[in-house]
Amino acid sequence: MVFIPQAGSFTRVFDTLACILITNVDYSLMYFSQYLRLIDVMARMALRADATKFFLGYIWWVLEPLLFVAVFYFVFSVILGSREPDFIIFLMVGKLTYVWFAKSVTQASTSIVGSKGLVGQIDVPKTLFPMAVIQEGLYKQASVFMLLFIVLLATGYPITATWWYLIPLMLVNYLMIVACGFIGACLVAMVRDFQPLITLGMIFLMFTSGIFWDIRELGDPHKTELLLAANPLAFLLDAYRQILMHETPPDMPHLLMLGAGFGALVCLMVLAMRRYSQFLALKALTA
Amino acid sequence: MSVSNHQVMLSLDKVSLSYHTGRKTFDHGVHRVLDEVSMDLYEGETLGIMGRNGVGKTTMLRLMAGILAPTAGKVVIQPGKKAALLSLGLGFKPELSGRDNALLAAMLQGSSLEQATTFLDSIAEFSELGESFDAPVKNYSAGMRSRLGFTTALMTHVDILLVDEVLSVGDAHFRGKAQEAMKNRIMGGQTVVFVSHMADQVAKLCNRVIWLDQGKIVDQGDAVEVTDAYTASVAEERKIAAAKKLLR
Repeated sequence: MVFIPQAGSFTRVFDTLACILITNVDYSLMYFSQYLRLIDVMARMALRADATKFFLGYIWWVLEPLLFVAVFYFVFSVILGSREPDFIIFLMVGKLTYVWFAKSVTQASTSIVGSKGLVGQIDVPKTLFPMAVIQEGLYKQASVFMLLFIVLLATGYPITATWWYLIPLMLVNYLMIVACGFIGACLVAMVRDFQPLITLGMIFLMFTSGIFWDIRELGDPHKTELLLAANPLAFLLDAYRQILMHETPPDMPHLLMLGAGFGALVCLMVLAMRRYSQFLALKALTA
Repeated sequence: MSVSNHQVMLSLDKVSLSYHTGRKTFDHGVHRVLDEVSMDLYEGETLGIMGRNGVGKTTMLRLMAGILAPTAGKVVIQPGKKAALLSLGLGFKPELSGRDNALLAAMLQGSSLEQATTFLDSIAEFSELGESFDAPVKNYSAGMRSRLGFTTALMTHVDILLVDEVLSVGDAHFRGKAQEAMKNRIMGGQTVVFVSHMADQVAKLCNRVIWLDQGKIVDQGDAVEVTDAYTASVAEERKIAAAKKLLR
């Protein structure tokens, strides 16, 4: 299909530019705004399909993460008697953001392989599959964050100007999810054995990101620094806590560096998945 | 109909496709699906591809549609033209209604949300699903499913339509309707590649036929001649197989 921008049609020009920049001529059936629309529709439909499967439907969006928190609270506060003040809030902030990352990335990882039927019938950008799953997670997470903010307000934490820092923080968090989701989806499409490894990796991250223990109270400041530098998820979780619980802005240079890094990774993966689209299809169909 | 004076829409030039199975089942784990296949597709013709199961017919369509890339050789398509598979049940989600699934399928095939929405009424009408159109697809019978699938797929508008064994859908009434719709497309000048192992259907619908066996072209040419040769060969093989059985 050839693009002829029509005078006065801004969206058309935008589509054309975006198409050249992002999707490329091979995917000309799919303009960029169409691609975004499709991600949105696929995510909404997956949510609706999910909701009809369960008796409690949409309530599971918030119920599931809350139950996660309840389990952790029971173990660490009731049984082990954690010393952390406001442990439940501390736990919620950490756990709910971790679950967003872990679930999105795990599900994105199997998204290309899981869409085998579609992959074999139509030539679409392979990023579509992880993106639809990540979008689905984003919609769920919006309600989870809402719930978290309500709990914070109800327990006496004030909304301060520091909360503005949540915007760049969430953006970087999202970029990290997309980058890891793309990488996971490609790895699993190429070699299925990566799937259990990714699940294992998520458990490893759960224990090393300071979800139920405070990374700042390790006793050794060097260890804290090292962990915050080496584990981006630990840094992000800590930044959420600093903003929401301690009215402290995050380490902005560090955050921006992470944002640039994950942003570059996303671009690289988009290019690679475009270049090797047919190879990924063959792998998904034949492995 | 003579097709030689028409333009070449798409051609395969010594196209091979093979892949590593990972497990050492075929020769050194490499499975060769297509082996140096060359062919031309002309504008406005209906080309049939025949052959038994697993000889590479679907793979050939996937190469034409750009879903897969050849390991060796070239797939050349006329600039600006697009080939797409007529796909049944494109990623159907069983929990969603026929309407939602049709919308999603139309969008995946390149329609905008607005266009897809306008298709819905005609899809509901042609598929004759009635009130079931708004019921979850998981409650559909196999026939209802294929009716929805075929109708949704019919909304694909491309330069080269690739059809993979889909005209054997639903009951006799709907099958007739599906064939009729396909015939209309062909009459309207649509370039079609049609894969099937049903000789009579191919002979009826196609101008020209390619006979594929074990990843290679055995014969190509006039639809009736090639399908006759294919049918004879299949009958021969059956006889040989039966004789072998007797000898054992």
